[in-house]
Amino acid sequence: MFKNVYNWIDERLDVTPIWRDVADHEVPEHVNPAHHFSAFVYCFGGLTFFITVIQILSGMFLTMYYVPDIINAYASVEYLQTKVAFGQIVRGMHHWGASLVIVMMFLHTMRVFFTGSYKAPREMNWVVGMLIFFIMLGLGLTGYLLPWDNKAYFATKVTLEIANSVPWLGPIIKEFLQGGTIVGAETLTRFFALHVFFLPAVLLILLVGHFIMIRRQGISGPL
Amino acid sequence: MSNQNEHHEPSHKPPGRKEMSRRQFLTYTLGGATAYMAAGAVLPMVRFAVDPILHKKGEGEFIKVVEESKITDEPQEFSFELKQQDGWYASTATLTAWIRKDEQGKIYALSPICKHLGCTVGWNNDKSFPDEYHCPCHGARYTKEGKNLAVAPKPLDTYKLKIENGWIYLGGVEPNTEVK
Amino acid sequence: MAHGNNSKEKVVYVGDSRVRKGNGFITPPDYTSYPGKSEAFIPNFLLKEWMVGVVVLVGFLVLTIAEPAPLWFPANPSASIIPMPDWYFLFLYQYLKLPYASGDYVVLGVIGVSGVAFGSLLLAPFLDTGKERRFYRRPIASSLMLLSLIACVYLTNSAWHHYKEEMAASGQIPENIQREEKAAENKAKGLPTTSANQQKEIAIVDKEDPAMESYKKAGCITCHAADMKGAAGPSLRGVGDKHNKEDILKIIKEGYEGKMPAMYDSAIAAGLTDKDIDHLAEWLSKQKAEQ
Repeated sequence: MFKNVYNWIDERLDVTPIWRDVADHEVPEHVNPAHHFSAFVYCFGGLTFFITVIQILSGMFLTMYYVPDIINAYASVEYLQTKVAFGQIVRGMHHWGASLVIVMMFLHTMRVFFTGSYKAPREMNWVVGMLIFFIMLGLGLTGYLLPWDNKAYFATKVTLEIANSVPWLGPIIKEFLQGGTIVGAETLTRFFALHVFFLPAVLLILLVGHFIMIRRQGISGPL
Repeated sequence: MSNQNEHHEPSHKPPGRKEMSRRQFLTYTLGGATAYMAAGAVLPMVRFAVDPILHKKGEGEFIKVVEESKITDEPQEFSFELKQQDGWYASTATLTAWIRKDEQGKIYALSPICKHLGCTVGWNNDKSFPDEYHCPCHGARYTKEGKNLAVAPKPLDTYKLKIENGWIYLGGVEPNTEVK
Repeated sequence: MAHGNNSKEKVVYVGDSRVRKGNGFITPPDYTSYPGKSEAFIPNFLLKEWMVGVVVLVGFLVLTIAEPAPLWFPANPSASIIPMPDWYFLFLYQYLKLPYASGDYVVLGVIGVSGVAFGSLLLAPFLDTGKERRFYRRPIASSLMLLSLIACVYLTNSAWHHYKEEMAASGQIPENIQREEKAAENKAKGLPTTSANQQKEIAIVDKEDPAMESYKKAGCITCHAADMKGAAGPSLRGVGDKHNKEDILKIIKEGYEGKMPAMYDSAIAAGLTDKDIDHLAEWLSKQKAEQ
């Protein structure tokens, strides 16, 4: 049954080479913890991706209840966390996952740095990886404000003051992020839009680039 | 880029007919691990999303509306306030009921929401059709009992009603039971 | 799953392209040249990776169940809060407090040092161009990275300590803990557990009181509406929180701040007695938001 469906599609689209490129390849010994236990450092990239998938899913589900509006944002977050079944877990996944992604990504970056894997011909992949890192930090920053509690509010005020202290462009950046003259309704909707649409879109594009390059160039050789 | 495929696992012996090969075993285990991870991550979220469906619908409370003694044969309009908790949003809806006593002295309350397209009907507000409910939107008409005479497909809904200590309490809306 | 036996298979590309051939691709090392030690990605290697994944997921789920995501009190611009960014920004936050990164030197702090640090991180492959990959054979790159790591750890740590000290000095308890305690307390008392600012719909107290009739008769409803929610005049629901009986009587008799005329005489003309009005004022003073 499955075989027939697969063949039917394959006849039309020739998908075999595509998925083989993605999934069917040999993994060398030096990254395999079964042969060298120290090779576990190579798993952090995959774990980052796994947590990122959880972040995307839990974020999608959270928007079923969340409203980006200063009157209702807090109430909706409190409602989904305390009144909705599994709300504590789903919000917990998104909250703690945000930290975990940073941890995993940091470890992955360190692995790539200290094994010198960013060297030719993989320079571009390092740059893309760093851009992913910055986007993740941006996601953390914009997501922090969304519950609209005191912690979020005051941290965001400080962040915007830091942005303001950038020479020449500072006030413009600040006002762009803030959307108005105070941290308020317009700031919240802006951060929401950045957090939910703009940054994830950029993130997905960069991730696709990251993976294509990995498959194209293979894992870096043994040291 | 897939000339790596040429590699052949030397330890891999062709399996017997009925036995499971190592590769198959690994594939099944991998499938199991995948399913486990997917379920572990997604099930809480799915339960979270379907929560409104699984909520017990409350019986709906009754709200004190008017003294029984004020009700006459003629339908009278009374409004009452229903407290609603809509997720995190608490609000009060002002509802209206047309209450009258029928010939046997039984009291019933009609909802003024027209069964045609949901406008609000009024009692005796069209001079050409006296003593009828009339909907200004498309001219739907109903009798005192709420029976549909024109345009509307169904009779007007009634409120659940109970009488305690001389006061009338109204509850949720239900299909009309007065019309025979 | 082509894995080995089927070596004749080739990826066939569509051959009608007019794009010129380039200089060639730096072919990555072919791991099949290490016989016996490499293994298939699916299922062998991915299974190992996902064993780790399962452990991480279980640990993660346990964390989410054990430790609810913190939520503070609703944002209140006039609250006195020691602002605290998320932990992974702490190093930057602390760094920008240093004397050479703040005040007159803020440009140096914001653009100079952090710009250089993040810029060189982004462009590391173009700064460290040697062929050597082992970290102990490229001391400059490695020691710079180690130094920045130590600096980040130190800054994060001192930011955290500073925060703890400030909290202790001002005697504050983190608000998420306060909120949870308050919710637990309210729950024990059977009150709503929410901390959200709710715009409460205030109910009319004692709706069946004869004063309600006087209220309608006296003409109050023309401005304050039949449901007391207000129209031209303000809502009278919860008016008892603002004025006591004497105030209300005075307002009825003398008007209110030039916005409301004296209504006493017209109420008498409408057939109310002085006693009715006195009772009406008393009833209005009982209109309080919530007991």
